[in-house]
Amino acid sequence: MDWALGLVSLLVFPGFALMIALSFLYEWYDRKLYAGIQMRRGPLYTGPMGILQPFADFIKLMSKEDLTPRHADRRVFNSVPVIMVALMLTALTMIPVTGASGLLSFSGDIVFAIVAMTFFCVLVFLAGFSSMSRYSIIGAERAVLQLLGFEIPLMLSMVGACIFSGSVTISGIVAQQSGLWNLIGPPLLGFAIFLIAAQAELERVPFDMPEAEQEIVAGWLTEYSGRKLALIRLARNLELIFIAGLAAALYLGGPLGPSTDALAPVLFPLYFIAKTLFVILLLAFMKSIFARVRIDQMVSFAWRYLIPLSLVQIMITLIWRAL
Amino acid sequence: MSSYERLFDIPIGPQHPALKEPVLLNLKVDGEHVVDVGVDISYNHRGMEKAAEYRTYVQNLYLIERVCGICNIAHTLSFGTAIEGLHGKPAPERAKVLRVLAEELERIQSHLLWLGIAAHEIGFDTLFMYVWLDREISLDIMEAFAGNRITSSYISIGGVKRDMTPEIAGKMLKGMDKLEGRMAYYRKAISEERTVLKRTQGVGLLGAADVASLSAVGPFARASGVAVDVRADDPYAAHELVPIKVVTGDGCDVFTRIMVRIDEVVESINAIRFCLGHLPSGPILQRLPRRVPAGDFLSRVEAPRGELTHFVRSDGSDKPYRYKIKTPTFSNIPSLAKMLKSTGRYVVNIADVPVILASIDPCFSCTARFERIG
Repeated sequence: MDWALGLVSLLVFPGFALMIALSFLYEWYDRKLYAGIQMRRGPLYTGPMGILQPFADFIKLMSKEDLTPRHADRRVFNSVPVIMVALMLTALTMIPVTGASGLLSFSGDIVFAIVAMTFFCVLVFLAGFSSMSRYSIIGAERAVLQLLGFEIPLMLSMVGACIFSGSVTISGIVAQQSGLWNLIGPPLLGFAIFLIAAQAELERVPFDMPEAEQEIVAGWLTEYSGRKLALIRLARNLELIFIAGLAAALYLGGPLGPSTDALAPVLFPLYFIAKTLFVILLLAFMKSIFARVRIDQMVSFAWRYLIPLSLVQIMITLIWRAL
Repeated sequence: MSSYERLFDIPIGPQHPALKEPVLLNLKVDGEHVVDVGVDISYNHRGMEKAAEYRTYVQNLYLIERVCGICNIAHTLSFGTAIEGLHGKPAPERAKVLRVLAEELERIQSHLLWLGIAAHEIGFDTLFMYVWLDREISLDIMEAFAGNRITSSYISIGGVKRDMTPEIAGKMLKGMDKLEGRMAYYRKAISEERTVLKRTQGVGLLGAADVASLSAVGPFARASGVAVDVRADDPYAAHELVPIKVVTGDGCDVFTRIMVRIDEVVESINAIRFCLGHLPSGPILQRLPRRVPAGDFLSRVEAPRGELTHFVRSDGSDKPYRYKIKTPTFSNIPSLAKMLKSTGRYVVNIADVPVILASIDPCFSCTARFERIG
């Protein structure tokens, strides 16, 4: 019976099915927030308050014609969307949803989380480069340049959280926060750096240069259509949950919160959802109050301010621990 | 040189998300830097000048209005002035002031539309949505005043079609107060938002000497310190009565162009207030014969985008013998081609191209007349 239970938790709850359902919900929430800040209405007609709109978009894209450019590297071009979804679903098993630890937990799983995020960018580059389109190649170049800018501060901010909690497992960091969240003290700076770098990882304004619509059409996504585009969109929504879940686990105490033993299985997932929605709220605000910066400005901003700041953050954390 | 080619072409257009109308900017890029550009504007030749020769002057009023939806008042005003000039009978005084009113109201909505698009081109969609929501104020006033939001057929040969009523004047004044507050807010918000400054300051530089030698017009030229404004240089309609300050800036970049346009909206608000306070009484329309005396007439109007020129040659019949339109966008295209080329320390990134293109407030559908530059 153990393996059956494991299979259910992997495939249904809190595994793939929950995450895919949440990915549609979060996209809707993000769109509604963004629209609200801009004094628009956002999705309105599909389901109550347009809540089914992202799902309807997904179904529609799935049924659309699926084109592969003649000069594209077919094997890479076609496999990237599938690998993206698989990578993100795998990475999401590390995110704690029902308790202190995720479905998978091992020493150094936080390193795997970093690798997953970097690998996602490599996939973006492959997708753009295999398309053999002018716009896609420029988008792919920008994605890699951007990676140079935001990856180090992202890692350093996570390292800061690890040092502060004295653990390199996500479950350890979460368990350590059962009393006090990591927002008190130096990790607050780390949280801010993490959110800024996450905005770049997720390719959202002000760091959405790899797919800047007004400049290079859709950037690395330009040649994707139909099913492949649907899968890429799904993967990016899953990435949004992954980042929000990671932020919640590292800084907001993960799914833990006030509860009794009997209520924990119900309350913990709800806490998880509430905390990730809060992270997305912050991300949506950041998305709507800035103009898109240029790629050279982004990289120089990252190296001039973000990376020194994240080093300072690590220094303060070490001093704080020593005291 | 190896077989590996460093430069490659990025076509912006004829269909592209940054463009609202078909045009081709063929960028030659080295990495992210634009080295050279070719501009092709002949994608939307609509044959309007030829069509005008087959229609009577009254029918042409509605054709000319459709040259450009956004600056339809400027086009009909130019057309009306030209025909009245051929007759030698200018419009009644009240109609002249009402024409200025309509023109300035159109300038407000056109500049707000432009401001939204400029924000969209630098990826600042929140500002875009805010500005377009406020643009609705001016469009609602336009609808109450002229009968329609955009193509209103307000100006007629010999005057205007609708008279001003006290209710509309009250509504207009209230709307102007609201808009003035919003413009002060945008001025402050845009000049303080760091990402906007980073994307617009020092971008699309073109000095006053270049602007003058490439004969650029409109707010674009004024932002480089060249004070060209037909309203002040060659007053038409009631512009000799309405005080207007020619807004100029000396930044020569996209940021200054934003600021100049915001200040021009404020100037237009003041002009509308002045017109409402100094509206003469009398008729608004005089009847003119269908047949127009033979002769040539060239009329100039300051459209929201710059100087608009209409030329008409009449042979004494009820149809024009030749009609010629020169839109402000056409005058600004040589400057655009120059701005898009990196020279020396002045570097144009691919990311700057959309906002540089937007900074001349292009309207290519009005412009297409078989020309190729660059």
